[in-house]
Amino acid sequence: MSVLPVGFKTLTRREILRFLRRPKNTFVPPLVTNVLYFSVFGVILGQRINEINGVPYVLFILPGLVVLGAISNAFENASFSIFHGRWNEYIDEALTSPLSYTQMALAYVVAGATRGLFVGVLIAIVGAAFTSVGAARPLYLVAFGLVVTLLFSGIGIVGGLWADDWDDLTMMNQFIVRPLVFFGGVFYSIAELPATLRAVSLLNPMVYMVNGVRYGFVGQAEVDPHLSLLVLSGLTVAVVALDVALFRRGYGLTE
Amino acid sequence: MVAAIETRDLRKRYGDVRALDGVSLTVPEGSFFGLLGPNGAGKTTFINVLVGLVERTGGDAAVFGHDVERDYRQARDCIGLAPQEFNVDRFFPIREVLEHKAGYHGIPADEARERADEVLKQVGIYGKRDTRFDWLSGGMKRRFLLARALITDPDLLVLDEPTAGVDVQLRHDLWDLITDLNEAGTTILLTTHYIEEAERLCDEVAILDSGRVVEVASPDELMDRGTDTITVTFRDPPSSVPDVAAGNGHVESVDLDDGRLVVTARQGGLLAPDLVRELDRGGHEIVDLDVSRTSLEEVFVEMTNGQESTGGSR
Ligand SMILES: Nc1ncnc2c1ncn2[C@@H]1O[C@H](COP(=O)(O)OP(=O)(O)O)[C@@H](O)[C@H]1O
Ligand SMILES: [Mg+2]
Repeated sequence: MSVLPVGFKTLTRREILRFLRRPKNTFVPPLVTNVLYFSVFGVILGQRINEINGVPYVLFILPGLVVLGAISNAFENASFSIFHGRWNEYIDEALTSPLSYTQMALAYVVAGATRGLFVGVLIAIVGAAFTSVGAARPLYLVAFGLVVTLLFSGIGIVGGLWADDWDDLTMMNQFIVRPLVFFGGVFYSIAELPATLRAVSLLNPMVYMVNGVRYGFVGQAEVDPHLSLLVLSGLTVAVVALDVALFRRGYGLTE
Repeated sequence: MVAAIETRDLRKRYGDVRALDGVSLTVPEGSFFGLLGPNGAGKTTFINVLVGLVERTGGDAAVFGHDVERDYRQARDCIGLAPQEFNVDRFFPIREVLEHKAGYHGIPADEARERADEVLKQVGIYGKRDTRFDWLSGGMKRRFLLARALITDPDLLVLDEPTAGVDVQLRHDLWDLITDLNEAGTTILLTTHYIEEAERLCDEVAILDSGRVVEVASPDELMDRGTDTITVTFRDPPSSVPDVAAGNGHVESVDLDDGRLVVTARQGGLLAPDLVRELDRGGHEIVDLDVSRTSLEEVFVEMTNGQESTGGSR
């Protein structure tokens, strides 16, 4: 750890402590929601739904729910923390310090991704109470887990810098994250869709994220995990580079 | 020796408003420098350019020789800022807020904790260390801002209206504290619109009005430009105004007011002895003499109003 600069470590630590100290706001909601998801979709409905490619329905939806929880929490953490800091102007504490713009942006990205990963693990543990789950491809699981949370944390930063008021934050969640999720193959197999919808679905990055994580958990996926990982990594690098550039420009931060 | 702050033709526009309209200032290292000006003069904007919260639209600004944009990290590392508005992390108790701020400046955790306790004691709110900022009283909030500015042991301490709305006790505590810091070598930039504060504390002041520097001088020099009033009370009030030759050129008016002689003059303190001697020689017996110096406030109002009335500021 000591190779990292003290300033970067401190800001990252501050950001992580912020959500750890408020479990009621950060961990309880996904816990409750996912217990409900698994009960209703997995157990009650799941008994009437056939196995998909030999995977029981409750296990089929588990990776999607993990991704959903992980990315929405990564997004929410980054966007909320940046926006709250701007709103109350205490983000100045970091801005007026000798942190480099890269360090500032990365600290927020890493903290948001950390929250996403925590929530993802939490959901997997909830899922394990409903069905037996293992990690068929642990390295892929870790790689996809990292890349999707980093990506959405990075997007959350753009949102947090762009927002002008609290409604903007809610709106982004409604119109960006939710639609991606519901058409992203969390609850159904895209192979079952009509050809056109299937083609459209393949433009949705969520499909690649869900399938990648599903590959990690159950060892099978509807799209090639290597291509998915490559594309998602590329996107993540681009978004994080954008974050750094926005900090450098002072977008939403300076006058 | 490199200046603590050096700006050349510094400009900042907000749409049509020229918040800074070509500010060139040098704040020497180790000085106690006052930035005076009415509300809206551009004082906060000037400071925020130095710490990177406002992006300049033109000109140069450097802190201890580090350009505030090109060498932003070095420049920011030199500065401790107690801003005008409260901008403190609300999630953490104040001691942790200080530790975080220290950490951002590269101070390792153990040392940060020690320094946090030290500065909390220094400003007198150590007892509140585990409280969040929102729960502090108004005066304690001001004290905390100072603590946060001091946690990084800055070479340049910037105080933006630190005594606005605080009680007399706190104002005096604060004055003592920053005077000590300045004597120990810290350069101080203080903005205020309380002239008395500047008069008491500063070696040098710049008067800013509508984004321009109107004047840079020591408080004494400025006061020498104002008019003082000498009031002489006689045992036997004269019936007409006595001739006054003393201080030729400095005297602006000589009047009788209710039997007392009222002389207004620049540098009245220097003129008074001559005046007394002259009146004495003229056979007037003096029972009381009062010299009231112009206040810096009056000089200030004259200067800033003068600017506005001539419309020369835009
Ligand atoms: N964010 C902003 N947008 C537009 N105008 C601003 C902004 N900040 C300051 N100003 C204007 O710039 C001028 C200088 O303001 P400021 O630096 O706060 O003055 P002071 O600190 O001397 O009271 C004022 O006219 C103010 O209205
Ligand atoms: Mg101001």
